[in-house]
Amino acid sequence: MSEAALPVLIEPTAKPNERLRAALTAPMFVIGATILTIWIACAILGPSLVPYNPYADDLMNTLAPPSAAHWFGTDQIGRDIFSRVVVGARSILSVAPLATLLGTLVGTTLGLITGYFGGIIDTAISRLIEVLLALPLIIVALLALVALGPSNTTVIIVIGLIFAPLIARTVRAAVLTERELDYVAAAQLRGESSLHIMFVEILPNVMGPILVETTVRLGYAIFTVASLSFLGFGIQPPSADWGLAISENYELITGGYWWTVTFDAVAIASLVVAVNLIADGIQGAIE
Amino acid sequence: MTKQYDEFEQARRAANDMQNHVIDEFIAGRIDRRGLLRHGTAYGLSAALIGGALGAPRLARAAGKPNATIRVAITAPSTAVNPVTAGDTGSLCLLQQTGEFLLFDTPDLHLQPSLATSWSANPAGTIWTFKLRRGVKFHSGGTMTADDVVYSLARLADPKNGSNALSTFKGVLSPSGIVKKDDYTIVFHLDAPNGNFPYLVSSDNYNAIILPKGSDAATFEKTFDGTGPFKFDSYTPGRSATFVRNPDYWGKKALPARTEFGFYANQQSQILALQGGQVDLLQQIVVQGAQGLLNDPSVKIIKLRSSNHREVHMRCDMAPFTDKRVRQAVALTLNRPGIVQGLFRGLSDLGNDSPFAPVYPSTNKSVPQRAMNIAKAKHLLAEAGVKPGTQITLTTEQVQEIPDYAVLIQNAAAEIGLKINLKIETSSAYYGKATYGNSDWLDSQMGITDYGHRGVPNVFLSAPLLSNGAWNSAHFKNKTYDALVADYVATVDLQKQRIVSGKIETLLLDETPIIFAYFYDYLAASVPHMSGVQVSGLGQVFLQNATIA
Repeated sequence: MSEAALPVLIEPTAKPNERLRAALTAPMFVIGATILTIWIACAILGPSLVPYNPYADDLMNTLAPPSAAHWFGTDQIGRDIFSRVVVGARSILSVAPLATLLGTLVGTTLGLITGYFGGIIDTAISRLIEVLLALPLIIVALLALVALGPSNTTVIIVIGLIFAPLIARTVRAAVLTERELDYVAAAQLRGESSLHIMFVEILPNVMGPILVETTVRLGYAIFTVASLSFLGFGIQPPSADWGLAISENYELITGGYWWTVTFDAVAIASLVVAVNLIADGIQGAIE
Repeated sequence: MTKQYDEFEQARRAANDMQNHVIDEFIAGRIDRRGLLRHGTAYGLSAALIGGALGAPRLARAAGKPNATIRVAITAPSTAVNPVTAGDTGSLCLLQQTGEFLLFDTPDLHLQPSLATSWSANPAGTIWTFKLRRGVKFHSGGTMTADDVVYSLARLADPKNGSNALSTFKGVLSPSGIVKKDDYTIVFHLDAPNGNFPYLVSSDNYNAIILPKGSDAATFEKTFDGTGPFKFDSYTPGRSATFVRNPDYWGKKALPARTEFGFYANQQSQILALQGGQVDLLQQIVVQGAQGLLNDPSVKIIKLRSSNHREVHMRCDMAPFTDKRVRQAVALTLNRPGIVQGLFRGLSDLGNDSPFAPVYPSTNKSVPQRAMNIAKAKHLLAEAGVKPGTQITLTTEQVQEIPDYAVLIQNAAAEIGLKINLKIETSSAYYGKATYGNSDWLDSQMGITDYGHRGVPNVFLSAPLLSNGAWNSAHFKNKTYDALVADYVATVDLQKQRIVSGKIETLLLDETPIIFAYFYDYLAASVPHMSGVQVSGLGQVFLQNATIA
């Protein structure tokens, strides 16, 4: 997983509201937000929207192609794929944001500490973070899940803790710049505690990069959750999870049963793209 | 029938009492042709004699071009190929490429001579005498004698070696019971009478290949030294194995000049390799994921009825399954014909909650088939005092159709108010250390386990169901059952076997420690112009007669 270097130049802007409005009404942002809203609606209202019980099998009607009765066709045990895709939004949209939130909280704290204190603390924690970043994300996640046993909670914790070092690095870079500014020196002269300076003085000034980083991470988290489900270590059957559905059915593609995989794959792609469009918009707004 | 009867009169004169009984069974119509072949050969009637009398087709050598190179896709062996400990589909297929057995169990489930030329039992079925073939050479040069057979089989029967064949030999054969009478005669003194013993030293027991005396099982994969029609060429762990024709083979020389086995991680890559022309034959396909292949005219499907199955165990010592009515209720929720149609496109027999698969001649078919009955299931559950919403955890492995089967069971049980939670894990996590207390397979409240084909039901009857069974994941302990199985195993007469199996089937239907919902067909796939391939329900692939036109 390659790391995109994020520009963290924060300049006091003359007309922030105008720029914000421009960024938030940009077509790409609107498209992203619309797609995300639709999926959030599916996640919340899904079970009451769908035409079939997404878990009910129908053994006399397995692998039926898309039709008026089953818009997205049926899977290997005759479940309605449309209903499953709609309901499947819920698991991914609860796990991925919580994992991202956890990663942001831990990462921001680490970033503030390393950036503000510097010296031996910075060196020690930064080297540790680099060690963690050197390991492929999915491998670390798999090892942790094998050790802890797969469940939604462990998926959230594992992804959150894996993302924390990435976020910490970004926050640290931003804090390094802030630390040298006069308002920090002033606070130190006033005798404020380090904790106060970090979280009350510096944090509000680095919220921009944190917000961007969080949104970008959310996109990665969605993809990671889906990947873990695909590998059988994430969300468990008979859940209508998208990654799981692809894992269960990808072998069928060569047999011509494309509908068992395509709609779930499109769902994952659309959600990741939507979140990234939103991240671009936010980044445009605060720069 | 008259003509055949006359021909059998000739066979009868040379036969002993037990053999004559099998002939009587056939003439009385109680066993069919397949059953006659199977049981006749088990009691040492010559297969050629029976075959000749019945006009049975000999295993035809295919009329294609010899000297082909046959490329086969098999499941990658999970560990080193060790003839003593191997138990996975990939390894067992490699073992029989160069190794041979005393007897060969054909796809029709009848025995043919291989390294042994004849075999017979005392009337009690406790002492079996096997005559060995002369002039058989190991690939390393030595001549095979009784010493090699004693060494190979005693090693498998010795509990100290952690042999995979112990599941077959435990309580049947001990190392000390294997006695060399002379260089070409072996006498087996069994721990208990066993009417099906010849099957246990046939290709049906895939570990029982005969290896040179003193050979080390741990380094087998460096030499693959055996007696078979092919000999070792190369082996790259995790990738491939190749074999070449053995010019010194004791029997008809193999038709292919060379065979190549590629190791594949999953069925999908195997199907792509077949469609892409990289391989000629797939060791095994399962309906799940190969639905598209079944109707493909450019692929030849090799189909074999088998005793391959899944066992759904319910812990008899763990609530709510301590009450047999709860176990019966779960079994009654399943729509078996629907499952067979949905999961296997109908390519499967129905199971009746006992190991007696319809393919076995000893199965008592007069025991009524269990069918779905939700009303009765609800009633049983209420009688047992189990409240709606009771939670159960079903643990199982991510293998073939099993996760889908688990979901079907979950949905079916929901009909009667049981809430089953699924825990689906990798096979290695599921089996764990495969000992009680260290294995989800053996410790879980409810689980689904994959069981491969066996030519006789003995292993299925004992290891997962006997009170002291090594694989008793249901923790089923029933003295009546134990006694019935001992009785069945000891019985050498088919008609009497069937009476006992009827009692076992009835008892298991009543107790239902394990749900046996289906016995699915073994399927393999090849290019359409290939012929002469013989597969077994275990995953063995015999290629000596294979040709590609």
